[in-house]
Amino acid sequence: MKLYVYCLAEAIETSAETVRGVSGAPVRLLKIDDLAALVSDVETDVVQVSRENVLDHAGVVRSVFDRTTPLPLRFGTLVTEQQLRSYVTTHKPALAAKLAHVRDCVEMSVKIIWEVSRDDQHEQRVPAQGPGTAFLAEKRSEILGDEIRAEEAKEISAWLHQSISGLTRDEQVNLRPSERLVLAAAHLIERAKLRQYREKMAESRENRPELHFLLSGPWPPYSFVNIGLEFKTQFGVS
Amino acid sequence: MSSPFDQVIITGDGEEWEESDLSLLETLDHVLNRGLVIAGEITISVADIDLIFVGLNVLVSSVETAHEVMRKRQTE
Repeated sequence: MKLYVYCLAEAIETSAETVRGVSGAPVRLLKIDDLAALVSDVETDVVQVSRENVLDHAGVVRSVFDRTTPLPLRFGTLVTEQQLRSYVTTHKPALAAKLAHVRDCVEMSVKIIWEVSRDDQHEQRVPAQGPGTAFLAEKRSEILGDEIRAEEAKEISAWLHQSISGLTRDEQVNLRPSERLVLAAAHLIERAKLRQYREKMAESRENRPELHFLLSGPWPPYSFVNIGLEFKTQFGVS
Repeated sequence: MSSPFDQVIITGDGEEWEESDLSLLETLDHVLNRGLVIAGEITISVADIDLIFVGLNVLVSSVETAHEVMRKRQTE
């Protein structure tokens, strides 16, 4: 028997009775020291990624998120109760620090997308004199375009940061995570400042009509909880 | 599916466009790619063919597709 773990939280005494877990499993509260873990008992060693299971996981975390800000776990976390208790006990100070960091906050997700047709703007057509020249001209064009896009992405990131200055408790920005994305950012926002943040984002969008935005939220702070990844970053382990 | 959050909006060219699939893709992006990892590895099984293409890349693809649709609509 293993536990499927959805999230860790403080200051909750009961799980939402109506919420269902992955594969329809009941959800229960497991108290470990000062924390509570929302878990389901499962018989399998693997959790299937399916639309229903993903939404069930998100639904359980959200049921807590409606009451307090939890530390959401990544989908698919299966451990024994002993492993979970050991993890929580061992990482108690780090978990407490994380909970304090995200307390009363929500995560807002911002993705900014390049114009679909903007590639054409940076292309410098050079009359091809032969296959070699054409190849080099194309490579030069690619490099120039890439450098310009990198600079633009930096400028947009700085602009966005400035636009919401004073409204974020923390942020994570991934510049150019893919060909079409200028950036993908996660902003940690105090619940009390959410309305102000939204107004500022709306204003920012109006100021840069040439950019396309994908905004979503409020989310539980999925992007601000990972102790393991921070450890790796701190100590240069990849 | 109903959207789990207040808004998913793509803006551009003065148009706003909502799509429930984007809600799902954003949910996938958060639930599958982020969150606290307490075990050494996450073991998941991808059985549903429609969810094999999970993550940010598919989100971007969907956004691109959405924009192409928007652009076509505008030029029509």
